[in-house]
Amino acid sequence: MELNANAFGRNARKALLDKTLQEALGRTTGRFVAHRDAAAAAYPEFEATRERASRIKRDTLDHLDTYLARFIGEAEKRGTIVHVARDAAQAREIAARIARDEGVTLAVKSKSMASEEVSFNEALQGAGVTIIESDLGEFIIQLAGEAPSHIIAPAVHKTREEISRLFERHLGEPRTDSIPELVGMARKHLRAKFLSAGMGVSGGNFLVADTGSVVLVTNEGNGRMGTVLPRVHLAVVGIEKVIPRMADLPTFLRLLPRSASGQAISSYVSIVTGTRRAGDPEGPERMHILLLDCGRSAILEGKYREILKCIRCAACLNVCPVYQSVGGHAYGWVYSGPIGAVLTPLLVGLPEAAALPDASTLCGACADVCPVKIPLPDFLLELRSDAREQGLKTPGEIAAMKGYAGVMKRAGLLEAIERIAGVLGQFFTKGKGITGLPYPFSGWTERRDFPAPAAQPFRKRWKIRRGVTR
Amino acid sequence: MTYTTRMDPKGPIPVSLFFTCLADAFSPGVCSATVEVLERFGATVRVPLSQTCCGQPAFNSGNRKEARAMSRKFLLSFPDDGYIVTPSGSCAAMVKHGYPVLFRDEPRTLARARAVGERIYELSQFLVDVLGVTDPKSDFSGKVTYHDSCHLRRGLGVVEAPRKLLRAIPGVEFVEMEESDRCCGFGGVFSVKYPQISCKMTERKVERILATGASYVTAGDLGCLLNIGGLISRIGYPVKAIHLAEILAGGTGGLSSFAADAASEDTRPPGTVRRAGGR
Amino acid sequence: MNERESLFRRLSAACGGHGAVAGEPLPGGASIAPEGDPVARFAKTFTAAGGFLLRGPVEAALADLGEMLRAEGVTGLFFPEDDAAAREIAEALVPFGPFNLTTGAEVRGGSAAVTAGFRTAEAAIAETGTIVETSAGGKTLLPGLIADVHVSIVPAASVVARMEEALAAFTADPPRNISFLSGPSKTADIEQTLTVGAHGPKKAIALLLPPERAEQE
Repeated sequence: MELNANAFGRNARKALLDKTLQEALGRTTGRFVAHRDAAAAAYPEFEATRERASRIKRDTLDHLDTYLARFIGEAEKRGTIVHVARDAAQAREIAARIARDEGVTLAVKSKSMASEEVSFNEALQGAGVTIIESDLGEFIIQLAGEAPSHIIAPAVHKTREEISRLFERHLGEPRTDSIPELVGMARKHLRAKFLSAGMGVSGGNFLVADTGSVVLVTNEGNGRMGTVLPRVHLAVVGIEKVIPRMADLPTFLRLLPRSASGQAISSYVSIVTGTRRAGDPEGPERMHILLLDCGRSAILEGKYREILKCIRCAACLNVCPVYQSVGGHAYGWVYSGPIGAVLTPLLVGLPEAAALPDASTLCGACADVCPVKIPLPDFLLELRSDAREQGLKTPGEIAAMKGYAGVMKRAGLLEAIERIAGVLGQFFTKGKGITGLPYPFSGWTERRDFPAPAAQPFRKRWKIRRGVTR
Repeated sequence: MTYTTRMDPKGPIPVSLFFTCLADAFSPGVCSATVEVLERFGATVRVPLSQTCCGQPAFNSGNRKEARAMSRKFLLSFPDDGYIVTPSGSCAAMVKHGYPVLFRDEPRTLARARAVGERIYELSQFLVDVLGVTDPKSDFSGKVTYHDSCHLRRGLGVVEAPRKLLRAIPGVEFVEMEESDRCCGFGGVFSVKYPQISCKMTERKVERILATGASYVTAGDLGCLLNIGGLISRIGYPVKAIHLAEILAGGTGGLSSFAADAASEDTRPPGTVRRAGGR
Repeated sequence: MNERESLFRRLSAACGGHGAVAGEPLPGGASIAPEGDPVARFAKTFTAAGGFLLRGPVEAALADLGEMLRAEGVTGLFFPEDDAAAREIAEALVPFGPFNLTTGAEVRGGSAAVTAGFRTAEAAIAETGTIVETSAGGKTLLPGLIADVHVSIVPAASVVARMEEALAAFTADPPRNISFLSGPSKTADIEQTLTVGAHGPKKAIALLLPPERAEQE
């Protein structure tokens, strides 16, 4: 996906003025948050399960070399072909090669955020493959020729009228304002594709090391379709998605649907292991897994390792007041919200995304809901410090900080400045608030007042009270 | 007056006041109110005047070099024993949680930071958890709602203490707002870096406040109150932002600095309006 | 192979360890005892997931089942060739439509008929209201995949309390596909309005067979 993270400020302002988007965002995130909270409250072991999941993931990451090697060995034993891509270019090359080698002309895809990182669809199209997104929201966006901009609900900004018009134009379907009818149209159309596609492409929610299995968690059923019916199945998955044992899976299944949308379980969980066995009436003859590094091994090495625990539930997005205000597109890449603000700079490089770690008040709501206990606010703080170290801060900010620290070094100097400011402030504002602050603080006073400095700072009052004279 | 078992009932309770640079300069009434409340419950309050700033704005914006400079000075400004009490949840959280990060590569300063961190409290937390106060003995009156500032609630885990104190004041009609723990949009430098997003969040907070019908919104963080109060003042909503310390101390009025900026309806009960510069 | 080697060089450098660490026992998980009668619990959770529960014996449920299928516009019924219980119920249901018998192959071939797919569940999970189907022993998954209505035959004895129990049988040597099916196919991608029947079945029915009946089979 094209990267545009440093335009966050401009895109955020645009998003704030987009009434349709604002309404949709409010409705969607409000619903997800309410459902998630209810689901967590209704499950007495929720907190214990979070702790368990966090520890399993940490153990896995601390020994990822062992677990990933085990996964590959087990997968290959059962007929799976495992590929490794170091970066996006390699991933695209491998994807195109697989499609050509397997003689695929039509592929049906269920959601994979990792594949968005490497512009997977374009790679396949370049190899002569028609690739159709089958997640309903992604399908709609694909027809509209738009980029998916939201992890949780790609078509969140589209009204049913707009969708009906798209279906009329691209699918030849009659206009309707019934949502069930629209869903039925997509179902019918995509069913035909599933039945004739040569390859099903999926992501992977979990990779089970002990058995070489790929786990897909969906509600629509399109993931299942793509992994049972076509001759070839290709799963595109980040290397960090490994969990050690099949017995660990229920722990994550207890957290993922609840955290994402407040469901105790999603409609479908598919655990797929290898190719069609002798005697199987259906199933892929060929199974490929494309493992993506794409910056993950570098993260593993450093202080941000725990970000790789993420199970892509989007709970942090839903609860983040900044995400709720501006939506996903403003973050300018695949991942948005708190996870995006940390992961994007780590995967694409901080200079390309330095605006993102600043897009937070550090309120901590995300850390409260993360099912695997990633310390997101700590990582945002760390990235802001990295930005300073890497010379990404404006000279103005650095000078202001140095000046501020310089004043704070001496209480006497601070007091002198406070007293002068107090006198001037009271004189100019006559006890009322300040309605216009100078740059760079002018943003505050666009819609808010700011108090004038007090005529007498507290430290002066205290001295008077103590009878200290100067 | 109640005492915890930890204290010597006969002796004074030594407290150093950490009055915060923001309150010092813009809302000194908050500092005075904090002293008044502490002294009411048996504290002997010292005010080390060499203190300036805990370094939070520099730390939060990633400028750790400057933050460390201010933090070292902070650590030197306070005595080696006794409690340190501050009317700011975010400043207490900065010392407790931010300092160990700042000094993770400096073992000696780290040790001192940890030792200081163990003795630092936000005001309501100190009153309830350490002094065992159940009734603040305040004559404040009015309908009050409470905003859970992020660092006080999530950083320090202080949720019930302010509510217990507010509910115990006879003249206070306490009402919970919806989304009391939702961020108000201040976030320090965020409010200036992304003011439009910040304002949107503040507007939502003010909507929730107005929905309660309260005359006052209070919190344990001045930054939040200046943010919320700044929007209220600009539009002229019939509600005043007042710091928790000032409610606990008693009396009437809004934040000293906005005192003269009356809303269209005079919702203040009769009483003195505290003006900056005098007590 | 080259890329794989260099990946593992990077990973080993980052991890610096070999072998899994046993560590302290983890909180939560299967150690917490499940509550109550699993069958009763399954009935609740399956319904909560959007499924419809009918109780056996078969004869008692046929009329209701027939009505539900007619209401969905079902005309064709299919079942796996090797699934005797599914065959028995589908055949007994024909006059309640009337319905005709078709095959998974025909549906997969693109038949436009509205169909109900019948299959015996290999297990049912009380914790989540889940039907478990696998490809073990060459079994087909088509009834729960491409039918418009999925009818699961659930012997009471196949109900287990938690997901761990359902997976235990398959951990050592998993079949190609283990599927957890919890209610109908769902989506909320259009105006955040929950709709059933995205790609999988629009309706999920579980026919819960009491123990005596299951023994007789």
